[in-house]
Amino acid sequence: MEYIGEHTLVGTIGQAFISIAFVAALLAAFSFYKASKNETLKAEWLPLARGAFYTHGLSIIGIIACMFIMIYNHYFEYQYVWQHSSRSLPTHYMISCFWEGQEGSFLLWIFWNILLGLLLIKKAKNWEAPVLTVVSAIQVFLSSMIMGVYLLGIKIGTSPFVLVRNLDENIGLPWTEMANYLQIVPQFMDGRGLNPLLQNYWMVIHPPILFLGFALTMIPFCYAISALWKKQYAKWVREALPWTYAGIMVLGTGILMGGAWAYEALSFGGFWAWDPVENSSLVPWIILVAAAHLMLIFKARKIALRSTFALTLLAFLLVIYSTYLTRSGVLGDTSVHAFAGGLDYQLLIYLISFVVFSIGLFLIRLKNIPHLEKDEDSSSREFWMFIGSIVLFVSAFQITWFTSLPVINKVLGTQMAPPLDAIALYNSWQTPFAVIIILLVGVAQYLSYRKTDLKKFLKQITLSLIISAVLAVLIAYTVQMWQPLLLILLWATLFAAIANFEYWRKILKGKWNLSGSSIAHIGFALVIMGALLSNANKNIISSNDGFIAKDFPSNENILLEKGDTTAMGSYFVLYKSDTLIGINKTYEVEYFSLKKDGTFEYQFTLNPFIQLNDIMGNVAEPATEHFALYDVYTHLTYADVDEHDDNNPYHRESIINIKQGDSVIYSKHFLYLDSLLVNANTNLESDKALDVMLIAKLKMQNMQGEYSTTDAIYAVKNNIAQSFPAYLEDGALKYKFIFSEVNPEAGSIQIKAYEHIDNEKPFIVMKAIIFPYINLLWIGTILMAVGTFIAMLQLFKQTKS
Amino acid sequence: MKKTEIILILLVAVIIGVVLSLTYNASTYITFADAEKRMGKEFTVIGELNKEKEILFEPRLNLLTFYAADSLNNERKVYYHDSKPQDFERSEKITMTGFSTDSGFTANTILMKCPSKYNEQQYIEQDTITLP
Repeated sequence: MEYIGEHTLVGTIGQAFISIAFVAALLAAFSFYKASKNETLKAEWLPLARGAFYTHGLSIIGIIACMFIMIYNHYFEYQYVWQHSSRSLPTHYMISCFWEGQEGSFLLWIFWNILLGLLLIKKAKNWEAPVLTVVSAIQVFLSSMIMGVYLLGIKIGTSPFVLVRNLDENIGLPWTEMANYLQIVPQFMDGRGLNPLLQNYWMVIHPPILFLGFALTMIPFCYAISALWKKQYAKWVREALPWTYAGIMVLGTGILMGGAWAYEALSFGGFWAWDPVENSSLVPWIILVAAAHLMLIFKARKIALRSTFALTLLAFLLVIYSTYLTRSGVLGDTSVHAFAGGLDYQLLIYLISFVVFSIGLFLIRLKNIPHLEKDEDSSSREFWMFIGSIVLFVSAFQITWFTSLPVINKVLGTQMAPPLDAIALYNSWQTPFAVIIILLVGVAQYLSYRKTDLKKFLKQITLSLIISAVLAVLIAYTVQMWQPLLLILLWATLFAAIANFEYWRKILKGKWNLSGSSIAHIGFALVIMGALLSNANKNIISSNDGFIAKDFPSNENILLEKGDTTAMGSYFVLYKSDTLIGINKTYEVEYFSLKKDGTFEYQFTLNPFIQLNDIMGNVAEPATEHFALYDVYTHLTYADVDEHDDNNPYHRESIINIKQGDSVIYSKHFLYLDSLLVNANTNLESDKALDVMLIAKLKMQNMQGEYSTTDAIYAVKNNIAQSFPAYLEDGALKYKFIFSEVNPEAGSIQIKAYEHIDNEKPFIVMKAIIFPYINLLWIGTILMAVGTFIAMLQLFKQTKS
Repeated sequence: MKKTEIILILLVAVIIGVVLSLTYNASTYITFADAEKRMGKEFTVIGELNKEKEILFEPRLNLLTFYAADSLNNERKVYYHDSKPQDFERSEKITMTGFSTDSGFTANTILMKCPSKYNEQQYIEQDTITLP
């Protein structure tokens, strides 16, 4: 049978590219493996290996091109397009819907791996063959995730080129047998669209950066595996070091961009919530930072090589673990933004194979890895850098262990629930770790390798210690943060920032090419400082003073009636208007301050909005006013988004059953049915009623005893029932009544009552939070990226010499 | 003893601390009946929203009330002192932390599991198709 209107060609080509990509990756892995054996085999196999890798790369680009053609042309017969895109989606978000699904995000990862593979072919020289063997092997695994083929009845991967009619859940349904299903099934007229939460500019750039970061962790891993495999235990570190820095820079930026997205577009109020998805990308970054510092120790002193191997391997394995956690569905109840399951067994098998293979190889080679039995001097730089790496490892372990609760439950068969206040628990563990790390960040550069002259050391850091202590007290005073541990952390971050600046200015003489580590460390200290100050001192200004129980505020929301000015924190706020702009219902909230003379002074306007989405539900998005020292964040927790019909301005239907002579309470009024009059026009011969008119005499009385009356009429003529609405007014309040039914058995009638939309002023319910010093976090992020970048350039230069 | 050994012992100690801390701090999924045995103490209950009964949100009171049944199918009225989350009516399972009182369960936080948001329905029902 020929289906009408389908565009199957692009899917067939795309699926062919997937097969080619997979086979080419296999071939590349095998030929690079052959080429890595000796020089003669290298000459023979390397061209083939490279050719296979290029073919693999071109096929992946082919797959991506096919997907863009499908998305751009709205080929809704394809599941991926139907599920993630829609006709109304602006072009720039089509890029986002490319990676919204599992398949697309795997492709993004594969794509970055190819680019990195090509760079390695160009740069890795002697390391090319073994390193690319590992890269190609990883590509084999990743491209199988998008295959979507059945092997011995087991589904391997999910393809982005599946037609909706071929989905398992639809096979066999009658409509799939109809040639013209695309024309007659209304669902195919448009796609379901991009998740409204993802329709944000951060979501266009955050995923590619994050995945590039994940991809970069692969390079040190491949070098480490090659080194163990080829028993070249020392030289790889120099080669892998600049790539490790690239990974730290990109992954760190990607993670914090995710935080920026959460802060700007999500409504939980903050940039970090220790959500499993956030945690599982943070952990590889922490381990990568620890690994990079161990590499530096090894480069300077030829020690700590075994730990360097272990942590380098671990960083990438944790990326695979994070993929398993977020995409297998195992997180289930504990995370709001995990992908749905379906690939769980395949992912689990991959995870286990990677762990067994790399840890196995490491253990086999362990006793051959050069190792010194001598203790380091406890005043040496390498000793404290090593301690720092251990603390980073423990910090990462704590996060991983707590995040893995659902996995632990699965393995042990237990039923543990997440801690009641998980965020507080994470913070209480991580704060002491952060204090140690930050103090080490501050002092480590002043320590010398081998042995430090302590007198000189103390002299060098005294000024920074004093300035930071004074500043810490001043800043703590502005936000009234006197909790000892937090105060110590604040002081430590200030000390680290100042000490690193001083080190660069005095000892490195302000040279830019050597500034990398100082700038990156200042950036890191500022990130922690910003996170601490903005989170520990966030002030929910919309809350009132009521409590339901201890630590349980009764109301963190404020209700604003349209046109009224209400006090909120140190501001006065006015809900001025609302407008529908495209798919966004936007609310204009003006902020005022009270001047000494009692008049209001306009400050700023915030426009929180609600993105209307019939299919996936409406989403409230916050609005934030940024100041140098703090942000004012607002988000709507309730707003009536229903559009009112001007021809029928009545809403809120209430159904009232009432008997003659009875009264009910309705909308702060007594409603009486005084009497029920029957007016019948009877056919005398058959004694049957031809036309009937029932008149309900309604009386509404307010609390002051004032009342008004009206007649609600229910008429049957020629067997057709009709109601004539009745209206009542009490001052400015207006009501409408419809006599809708007669219940002869119960002896009652049914009245539907409506309130006029103007009876109640429209209102919104809103939450407003002040985040002090949050800009430090963003400045720190930029500095960290810039500093790591400078360090990376410097290290790349060194590998050339 | 060498420094490396001391560090190693400390490392193992902290790791054991982390491991035990989770078991100590993990809460337990319990039923309403169990929560009522210790009124006022916080627990985690997984419930299923009763969509037949009234889901009432009073913006002026900042109060959402609904009925949920726990794993043993015992139903309680739940009081949640915050705004109604988006798509609340569509949720199936609701994870609630909070405590029991005489009048029902007072939820401190609620986390909903929506069937629609990330696992979109791909099944096209036959009766939604209008044949020519």
